[in-house]
Amino acid sequence: MANEKKQTGGSLLFNVMQQHGVEHVFGYPGGAIMPIYDALYDSDIQHFLCRHEQGAAFAAVGYARASGKVGVCLATSGPGATNLITGLADALADSIPVVAITGQVATSAMGSDAFQEIDIFGLSLACTKHSFQVTDVNDLPKVLHKAFAIALEGRQGPVLVDIPKDIQLAEITHSLEDFSKLKNMVKLPPANVGSAIALLNKAKQPILYVGGGVGMANAIDELRAFIDVTSIPSVSTLKGLGAVNPDDENYLGMLGMHGTKAANIAVQECDLLIAVGARFDDRVTGKLNEFAPHAKVIHFDIDTAEINKRRTVDAAILGDLKINLPALAIPLSIVDWQQKCRKMKKDFAWDYNHPGETIFAPAVLKEISDKMPKNTCVTTDVGQHQMWAAQHMLFDDPSNFLTSGGMGTMGFGIPAAVGAQVSRPTDCIIAVTGDGSFMMNVQELSTIKRFQLPVKIVLIDNAKLGMVRQWQDLFFNGRLSETDLSDNPDFVMLATAFEIKAKQITHKDQVSAAIEEMLDHDGPYLLQVKIDAKDNVWPLVPPNTANDKMMEST
Amino acid sequence: MKSYQLTIKVDDKQVVLERILQVTRYRGFLINGINAEVNTGTNIGTIELMVRSERPIELLVDQINKLIDIKEVKVDNNTTT
Ligand SMILES: Cc1ncc(C[n+]2csc(CCOP(=O)(O)OP(=O)(O)O)c2C)c(N)n1
Ligand SMILES: [Mg+2]
Repeated sequence: MANEKKQTGGSLLFNVMQQHGVEHVFGYPGGAIMPIYDALYDSDIQHFLCRHEQGAAFAAVGYARASGKVGVCLATSGPGATNLITGLADALADSIPVVAITGQVATSAMGSDAFQEIDIFGLSLACTKHSFQVTDVNDLPKVLHKAFAIALEGRQGPVLVDIPKDIQLAEITHSLEDFSKLKNMVKLPPANVGSAIALLNKAKQPILYVGGGVGMANAIDELRAFIDVTSIPSVSTLKGLGAVNPDDENYLGMLGMHGTKAANIAVQECDLLIAVGARFDDRVTGKLNEFAPHAKVIHFDIDTAEINKRRTVDAAILGDLKINLPALAIPLSIVDWQQKCRKMKKDFAWDYNHPGETIFAPAVLKEISDKMPKNTCVTTDVGQHQMWAAQHMLFDDPSNFLTSGGMGTMGFGIPAAVGAQVSRPTDCIIAVTGDGSFMMNVQELSTIKRFQLPVKIVLIDNAKLGMVRQWQDLFFNGRLSETDLSDNPDFVMLATAFEIKAKQITHKDQVSAAIEEMLDHDGPYLLQVKIDAKDNVWPLVPPNTANDKMMEST
Repeated sequence: MKSYQLTIKVDDKQVVLERILQVTRYRGFLINGINAEVNTGTNIGTIELMVRSERPIELLVDQINKLIDIKEVKVDNNTTT
């Protein structure tokens, strides 16, 4: 065979990665992965040392989400491997293509409770799409090719490859041309196009319910063409934000627990719900048996297991959205319904009036959204600031809004911004974080410093675990158990210690200048925005309640 | 509670049984019994899985089908207990 040469398992790993177009990886070394790091020393692949394996995993997730490529992270055995798990769980919940490589103790030591031995292969079963443990170096090329193929195939997801130390060191003669593509093993039943068209023709009040699958399928153009032809009013999930053109007059914004009033009412009143790459998550549906109670359902998805999982559908359209969306794009006569939706959108538009001198986070985020350059990618952490970002910032592509949706993982925002900035070095990357979440992966400021990544961090500081505090106030009689963070460190001083320029603002009249200063700054920047600890996220659909029974204030 | 018998054809991989059991438990199905053997000629394993649940069996079949090393899942019977 051509290109055949002798190499170690470790160097083969990087050669195969290069065949799959990998240029950047995120990781952290240790004993059981040293031969791989030794091979890395000679590789053209660029490694970004994060300061915690969880940071490396989230950087890989951010990289993948911002670029559409596979994100790669590396960790050693034992604690290195277990530190990846939260990131893998996050990638599984949000269907993100990630390949995680873990070192393992040598095959002869496996199963002996060796130093830093943990059964990461066993642990991976519940938090990856698929996983491999390599026990013969001759299997390594095929396993690695499969790992990349599985991460990207069908519904995307994380794949873990556990490689014992002796396999990393073993020599293998292998041709790099040998590149086997995995075939889609799950046969999809034929799309139910006929009945879907009949449902569409009959509908008087249809709604398009857009999920993260649209971005994952790279079907933004097809979705927008569908909307153009049908003029259908639409709503979006958290992960779907950016798929629908935010300027579309029939677009009503996010639905669900913190969705807009217009979106939630429209869905409750619709007679046909067209779910596109969405999975009826409980944060979207509220009380499931009262969700869109009058609606027939058409469900577009790539994953058979999502059909009828939480809501029985009337027509299932399985397969590639790029093919299936155009097949259903027919003009509809729904003028009255459009007018009604547009009126709700106007009547229930956001109100940015906020009495007093304290800063109103929704207004800050809206102003950032208005001023940020085109193709800015925003990441968030988890909590009130996340929901405010989702509500008040506008995105023209899902790859420009990276947020932990399915898992809701605090600590996501900063390392995801690291990964996003590495994948898109010339785009503006803004991490919107909270004072609680920021501290969960604060060590990644070191990664920002080392690689001089010009990430902008907007820290919405309420000195609280605000989202939990809000629930305690609303649903637990104001018993504020363990949600106070008033002894937070001096965040400006902290950022400065990492050579990151930082500023704190406390008054409304400081907002505009501070945003401009941040956006004009060449390098990394942290803007600490002090807000009132009592500000709440509205609207809110209380637990186990229908989505039209939202609370709008206390 | 309904009981079902699944016949699952798999590639003979060490971990495949563990994966099926994990998915079965996680998706809310209790195991009444299990039988597994491998045809060493074809390297295809056959697993008979007797389960019971309040949930529709399609939920489990769809999830097992998503596992990478699965060749086929069949529901053989459908008995109420
Ligand atoms: C890893 C993790 N632990 C706990 C939670 C539960 N949780 C959700 S929001 C939240 C508070 C977040 O506080 P902060 O980052 O300051 O955001 P805020 O709500 O104040 O804007 C907590 C503790 C979580 N989502 N993730
Ligand atoms: Mg907070």
